[in-house]
Amino acid sequence: MTFHGLVVALAVEGVLILSSLLGLVLLRQHLTGRARAVDAGVRALEPALHGWLVQGTDVRQIVALLRAQTPYVAFRSVARLATPYLTFERQQVLAPLLRDEAWVRDMLRHGQSRLWWRRFDAARLLSIVGGDADKDLISALLKDRSPAVRLVAIDAAARLGGQLVDVELDGLPHRQDAVQAYQIAALARHPRPVAAALLPRLLPDAPPEALNAWIDASGALASPEALTRVRTLATHPRAEVRLHVARALRRHAEPDTVPVLLALLADGDWRVRAQAARALGALRARSATAALAAAVRDRSWWVRYRAALALAQIGGEAREELLAVTRGEDPLARDMSILVAGLSSAAVVEMSEV
Amino acid sequence: MIDALIPSWFTAAVQMADVAILWYMFVVNSFFALLLALAAPQLFAHWRFGSEDVLARSLTSSAVPRVSILVPAHNESVSIVDSLRSLLTLQYPYYEVVLVNDGSTDDTLQRLHDAYDLYEVPPAVMRRLRTERVKAYYRSRTWSKLLVVDKHNGGKADSLNVALDAARFPYVLACDADTLIEPDALLRLARPFLFDQKIAAVGGTIRVVNSCTVDDGRVTDARVDGRWLSGIQTVEYLRAFLFGRLGWNLLGGNLIISGAFGLFRRDYLTEILGYATSTVTEDFELIVRLQRYLKEQRKPGKVVFIPDPVAWTEVPTSVSVFGRQRERWHRGLIATIVAHRAVLFNPRYGAMGLIAMPYFLIAELLAPLVEAIGLVITVLCTLAGVLAPGFALVFFATAYLFGTLLSLAAILMEEVSFHRYRRPSDTLRLVFFAFIEPFGYRQVTVYFRLKAFVRYLQGDHTWGRMKREGFGGGQSAGTPVPAPPL
Repeated sequence: MTFHGLVVALAVEGVLILSSLLGLVLLRQHLTGRARAVDAGVRALEPALHGWLVQGTDVRQIVALLRAQTPYVAFRSVARLATPYLTFERQQVLAPLLRDEAWVRDMLRHGQSRLWWRRFDAARLLSIVGGDADKDLISALLKDRSPAVRLVAIDAAARLGGQLVDVELDGLPHRQDAVQAYQIAALARHPRPVAAALLPRLLPDAPPEALNAWIDASGALASPEALTRVRTLATHPRAEVRLHVARALRRHAEPDTVPVLLALLADGDWRVRAQAARALGALRARSATAALAAAVRDRSWWVRYRAALALAQIGGEAREELLAVTRGEDPLARDMSILVAGLSSAAVVEMSEV
Repeated sequence: MIDALIPSWFTAAVQMADVAILWYMFVVNSFFALLLALAAPQLFAHWRFGSEDVLARSLTSSAVPRVSILVPAHNESVSIVDSLRSLLTLQYPYYEVVLVNDGSTDDTLQRLHDAYDLYEVPPAVMRRLRTERVKAYYRSRTWSKLLVVDKHNGGKADSLNVALDAARFPYVLACDADTLIEPDALLRLARPFLFDQKIAAVGGTIRVVNSCTVDDGRVTDARVDGRWLSGIQTVEYLRAFLFGRLGWNLLGGNLIISGAFGLFRRDYLTEILGYATSTVTEDFELIVRLQRYLKEQRKPGKVVFIPDPVAWTEVPTSVSVFGRQRERWHRGLIATIVAHRAVLFNPRYGAMGLIAMPYFLIAELLAPLVEAIGLVITVLCTLAGVLAPGFALVFFATAYLFGTLLSLAAILMEEVSFHRYRRPSDTLRLVFFAFIEPFGYRQVTVYFRLKAFVRYLQGDHTWGRMKREGFGGGQSAGTPVPAPPL
């Protein structure tokens, strides 16, 4: 490495530093200007959106306002306002009106772009305006190589109602927990077609991994038909499946569910017992008071915790039982009941949820 | 005349040393440039994901993992109420806060009692780790998310282990009591889980809170401190987080997730027996041990850094406190690399053994030694006439401009992505501090890092004291914090 080499490096560094300083100024101006344009677009759109949502004014005003913006500003404005203001039903009204606008067509062409962020924008826009004609594109985006695009495509698929349900339910077991939960939440916007598609899948001989995902989906839907079928899986030989059954049944407020949960409260696996206790609390099952009071003496910390919370959640006599345990002989049960009995009712609800 | 007095072996040795230092500088700087090149597209991707409202919506659903926030506190009465309030009001659906009072000798616990209406509860936790004795567990009558553990002093790592034992949820977020976490930071930190990734740990960005306006435990106006020491540290933090750690995501994973703000799988932490109490940089040691464990046990799980979740921390404003902190950090680095030397250059550990650990040895651990030796040799030789002054000048100018260029790149990345500092005057300040960092600040840092070698060899395992100024504009400690609306 010579003196001349260092001089060359020095010169290159000098040029790069000057470029960075220039870039700092120019990019700051450009990005600030673009952010201001989007803010102005949002401000212009808000009154029209408010008028439509509250006063029932013509929705075409919104469409006209967006048409007057640049595609970038129109997209950003509608994306920013759609999530906080538009219910799913309102989106269903607005979507067909926007779908054939020139700026929307331009942006949706990016759905097949080689650049992930363009596909990402297209998927995002489809989650607001997508319709039947976009089924194939959404189906492709659901399998995109970018996880971000796949995630946003789930919202786009949810817009189409039952049309992509089978694709989504079949893909569900292959997702990680968080993505599964997200997909299930999106599916839950169409409870009827999803429940109908779930029923033939909820069979004891289905692969356990897939069955668990479909049981979770049934719980999220709170569909009585699907949960009645889930109840039949309470005697499944796999503890993992029984655990998911116990968790899902907390959304099934039917008299026949309580005896099933009481049986699960006596399960050999502590995770199943804990979830059964939680479900009995969520269902406010007064008839389970004695069993839950016994479960506060369980050898597993989690079962004691869930059972104590369930007694507090049920209230009345169940709470009296919990207070009786605080004066009991079993030190572990006593400690747990003192811990839970001291919680406010809001805290009991919150802690039972998670 | 002087030339004639200098033996030829000395001249040859000096020339060799100069060439070695030049090559060292070239290799290390090239690596920094590589990190920068790897970080830029990732920063763009995270900026795009993070700015999308769709993610905020998705993350408020039940999809996000349940998280226990672990907060060790020792003599934090100045800032504890503000910090805790910011933690208790995060935008996140499922979490709890486990605060451990590590034998504070000030009124930290009393202030918590006053502000959060605590009551004692039985020790209903599963003890899995060996720790100092716990005195009592408290819950709050007003904030059901809060669990306070009072224990005998055992250090930060010991407190984190107590909190780890008391945590209920499958993921834990370790953070410092003097750290202010942005309301949406935890939501953003959970983003990799929605991208189908198998995650062992996630780290976010730490920014400097000095001179920022803090209201109700929130940074409401981000400013760059005008004082040189904290101002330069602001640039240094931007550089370290925005491209340093981001670049490592693609080079075998991060070996540092800041102890002030990192999310971990709890079962993995428990399996590796939690934090090591014998080290002074428990965060670095933990990640090295965790990465090692994942490799040895062939367990899935990445250690990733994402830039947009932000936590704010106070940095030292006096040279003495700053020196103690940097000396401790470097001592911890030495101890960790020595303890895990089996990983160094070991292909069994993949990129960690062949890239990450050697980097920390060569570019971090040895850097102050090389810098000090290079400085001394160059000055002596220039004075003795062995080295041409022109060469020395160009050499220093190249090193200076490269460091400045990296800082400017970090500022540029900040400006085009997250743009936290809204005022042009703050950006100017950042640029100014980027230019003056090599004059004084760098040499001070080298001095304290060299001191770390001496104290390490003396077997010193103490932390040193860190004085807090507290956050400006916050609520006074001890004032009752109103409960959340039911």
